[in-house]
Amino acid sequence: MKYPKEIVLKDCTEVLIRPLAEADEPALRRFYSEIPEEDRWYMRLDVMDPAVIRGWVRDQQEVISIIALVAGEIVAHARLHTHKYGCYHHQGRLRIIVAPAYRQKRLGSWMLLDLIHLAMEKGLREIRADLVVGVEQPAIESACKLDFFKKAVLEDFVIDPRGQRHDLLIMTKQLHKDWGDF
Amino acid sequence: MTAYASHEILAATPLGELRIRSFCRPEEIRTLSFDRQFGTHAHYRSLFTKRESLERKAEQPDTSVVLAIADAVHIVGFGVLAYPDPEERWAELRPNLMMEVNAIEVNRRWRSQKVAKALVQMMMVHPLIEAKIAYFVGYSWTWDLDGNRMSAQEYRQMMIRLFEPFGFTEYTTNDPNVCLKPENIFMARIGADVSAEARQAFKWLRFGQSP
Repeated sequence: MKYPKEIVLKDCTEVLIRPLAEADEPALRRFYSEIPEEDRWYMRLDVMDPAVIRGWVRDQQEVISIIALVAGEIVAHARLHTHKYGCYHHQGRLRIIVAPAYRQKRLGSWMLLDLIHLAMEKGLREIRADLVVGVEQPAIESACKLDFFKKAVLEDFVIDPRGQRHDLLIMTKQLHKDWGDF
Repeated sequence: MTAYASHEILAATPLGELRIRSFCRPEEIRTLSFDRQFGTHAHYRSLFTKRESLERKAEQPDTSVVLAIADAVHIVGFGVLAYPDPEERWAELRPNLMMEVNAIEVNRRWRSQKVAKALVQMMMVHPLIEAKIAYFVGYSWTWDLDGNRMSAQEYRQMMIRLFEPFGFTEYTTNDPNVCLKPENIFMARIGADVSAEARQAFKWLRFGQSP
């Protein structure tokens, strides 16, 4: 992938996408501090912990990050989690967080497409996204459009801030050799 | 219609010498034979299966049909730089700002001899190239993956390696056909004389927006 790259959103906002750099640490912390608490609840890690952000910024061997910027401010962060060794080494896991003001503008889809390309370049055979049904519905629809398939549903697997249970949907996309299916 | 002078280079390959010739005229193409490999295969069909299609292309204004010719008369590869069809998105930038690498193909026997590189090189020897945005759209379903024994991703990388030395860069677009498959690719080369306004308009056009 060639970065930085420019994209234009549905509402004509111009956005720059590029890899996360060490100097972005304060901006990334700022970005996550503005993500609603309810959204942060569904993340696997506590993004308010500076060590988490520092880890992503400093070690990009196993967790590859790209960011989207508008006027120099981060408006989205996308990660590809990989494994160097073991039974998951063929697989990458995706996570994309978009600032509320930039949702429903296809920014998440552009970030998703880039992560797919990054996974292809790394030679991964499969990518996976874990999404909470009823909470992350736009992301589920976006993944479906890019040929992700439902692999499994873990019923009543996650709990929302109010104590209600939700299904966790595991979606995967194959990046196999003969990908062109025409 | 402006008639452009042909340019020619000789490409020495282990299979023999090839003439790579730009701005081939229809009457000239008519005298040549068209390799039978440019046809329909199990999982792939050539972009041009008849010599007549190349002749028709060569009749269009400013179009450069570049041919790789073996044994003085036999077409074994071709490239076409032409204006996009009027109904295509890329025809919207006026007046005729964008030109498409409409086709580039080398028959199976002559592949891996750097023939495609020579074809691109000659397509870029166009008097208007610095005033144009030349672009190339790669759809994976048109690629001869079997013939090249490549995955779509490997083929995509090959296309990037082929076009990048000539100033092409990969650009993002929301063109539905390009977006259909992640391995599809859109690359463009913005000529040195293209204005800042036109560059901006190109950016908006890539996303189907108007400022």
